[in-house]
Amino acid sequence: MLPAVAMAQTAPDTGILQLKYLDYRDWQPGADRMSVRSPAFYVLKPLSDTLAVEGALVYDSMSGASPLYFNTLSGASGVGITEYRTAGDVKVTRYLDGAAVGVGAAVSSERDYLSRAFSLDARISTADRNRTYAFGFGGAADVINSVNGVAENERRNTLDFLVGVTQALSANAILQSNLTYSSGHGYYSDPYKPLDHRPDQRRIFAWLTRYNQHLPDTDATLRLSYRYLHDSFGSTSNALEVAWFQPLPDGWSAAPDVRYYTQSAAYFYFNPPFPSGSVPGQFYTADTRLSAFGAFTLGVAVAKSLPDAWSASVKFEFYRQRSDWRPGGGSPGIDPLSARWIEFGIAKAF
Amino acid sequence: MHRMAGPILTALALLGSGCATLQPPQPWEKGQLARPEMQFDPDPLGARIQQHIYASKEAATGGYGVGGGGCGCN
Amino acid sequence: MPLFRFSFQAMASANALQLWATDEARARRAADAAIADVRRIEAKFSRYRDDSVTTRINRGAGGDAVAIDAETAALLRYADRCHELSDGLFDVTSGVLRRAWNFRETPPRLPDDATLCALLALVDWSGVEWNEHAVRLPRAGMEIDFGGVGKEYAADRMATLCLECGIAHGLANLGGDVRVIGPQPDGAPWRVGICHPRPSGNRPEEAIASIELAEGAVATSGDYERFFEIDGQRYCHILNARTGWPVRHWQSVSVVAPMCVVAGTCATIAMLLESKGGAFLDAQRVGYLAIAGDGSLHGSAATLRSAVGTPDPAA
Repeated sequence: MLPAVAMAQTAPDTGILQLKYLDYRDWQPGADRMSVRSPAFYVLKPLSDTLAVEGALVYDSMSGASPLYFNTLSGASGVGITEYRTAGDVKVTRYLDGAAVGVGAAVSSERDYLSRAFSLDARISTADRNRTYAFGFGGAADVINSVNGVAENERRNTLDFLVGVTQALSANAILQSNLTYSSGHGYYSDPYKPLDHRPDQRRIFAWLTRYNQHLPDTDATLRLSYRYLHDSFGSTSNALEVAWFQPLPDGWSAAPDVRYYTQSAAYFYFNPPFPSGSVPGQFYTADTRLSAFGAFTLGVAVAKSLPDAWSASVKFEFYRQRSDWRPGGGSPGIDPLSARWIEFGIAKAF
Repeated sequence: MHRMAGPILTALALLGSGCATLQPPQPWEKGQLARPEMQFDPDPLGARIQQHIYASKEAATGGYGVGGGGCGCN
Repeated sequence: MPLFRFSFQAMASANALQLWATDEARARRAADAAIADVRRIEAKFSRYRDDSVTTRINRGAGGDAVAIDAETAALLRYADRCHELSDGLFDVTSGVLRRAWNFRETPPRLPDDATLCALLALVDWSGVEWNEHAVRLPRAGMEIDFGGVGKEYAADRMATLCLECGIAHGLANLGGDVRVIGPQPDGAPWRVGICHPRPSGNRPEEAIASIELAEGAVATSGDYERFFEIDGQRYCHILNARTGWPVRHWQSVSVVAPMCVVAGTCATIAMLLESKGGAFLDAQRVGYLAIAGDGSLHGSAATLRSAVGTPDPAA
């Protein structure tokens, strides 16, 4: 586990290096769908008492039976499309007395998609450091160039805002609640899906509340998180996460977690059977990501602290999405989607 | 949707009141709050990975921060 | 009608079957039958199995004739035709040359003339005695290798079995050899990407062109499947059966034909015929897309027209 970064707004006194490897696979009944292998790297380095820099790099290689444009590939060796995504971000934070200001940049690049983003955030604490207010502002500029030529140099620009408060409730309990608002304009359609035509703006409002409770008797920690989100596509979602962190003897720990998520369909989502003609002027998608469904995740993370401030961890998660897992019902005619991922990680404080 | 918010907040309030005291800690009492598992972002890399996985499967993205950039999957 | 996808490992490659079917049970029945037949063919003709037809034939080299069944005889008959069409360059007894060319060794090395000469003496399809019921390799040390036809034949078999199971729309891909079972349900063709023979470092499976196929098959032969490079010169696994040396002219050849086994052998023969490969494919009246050593695209007019992103085709 990582060394503590306390609530007080001072620069961390130790750096952190995290290396992770993700093995992800998803599938639907009767067929394999996609697998992702992804090494990832994160580092946090204090540069002085008042300055710290952090950065992350993630490299995904995704392969599976649903290539972006081609139905299949003919070549002298092997079959299957592998798509790659490289994403990196960096942030510099300056610590002042009772406050911190950060500026960050992020890039995500794939064959047909490029996103560049920036962020500014400020945190201000009360004198007793038991309450911290957070303000954030960020933006992203995306360029989409689909392999099939449907989207050529399409753009999408977004601005995000965040306000939040974190409050230490007692020596053993802490609560955080954030409101975010995002407003974007540009290309939102999926160029690989026929007839897909989405509005050219999207506004998202989200309210995230998290609560951590330490239980001195068992030394365990209960972690709760609830996010309510509503967007102008008409989708409203709720995500509830509960995790239980249990320290075990000899530096081991186990943390099972469960997540329940529901979402309503976008107003321009149409159930199958999908129309074969175009509907001029009307927004339309058959993308099941915008349908109504419920989803459960069940997982556990096991970690062990090692000598010299090293630690190792393994995390398993199982995910299933079904339209009938949503109270009040979901979109009909959609196959359940399942996924599983394993994260191997090592970390070092230095 | 709102029917979930009510029970959650009630549960939080009950949990809070179930503790010994609901009193903001003194500086010398902040030891437990400094534990990694008591942080809201103890695993920055894991959080990036997890948020990206959910963003590729679900319509909802965001709520955790600002200016994180997007991906072609949503 | 949903699309069901089945991926499976066989014949040393990742393979995929995409079937449109009214329900999963029907798709699974067809897929199970097709995949089982691929495994049957692999076991029957594998060089590595003790009980395979290939091993039995090879053990009888220089000795008695070995009995064969109708399926094996049909493949031998087809191999004979390919030998004829290619002026002897396509030879199913040329597998022994792999002993001189080790593509896994580091650092790579070129074979010496003595080794090559000795092995070339064992490459002699026209000397093989065969008929519908038996085959005999005349000299000890000779080997027969169905690698040049096995995968494509299996792809055609997959299509036949799926059609017999009532699947009318689908696609089989066995390690890059593609056979259409039927067009998409709305009649639209399948889009097959042709692998780039010289992809950039982090994109090993990039496509250079696209071919639309509503029926038939496409197979690709290339110099990038197994090779090594010495002093900037590439030596690939496609060996001229007369000289024992790798061919050089084409980086890859993709052929479109009604059956995968025809597409595959035409592609290989075109690679073997080097600069005469284009004329050969024109004479066979198959559609093709060939990428020359300098990266330029050549092909039959119809195929080039349907390929996406082609620069000005050379003659």
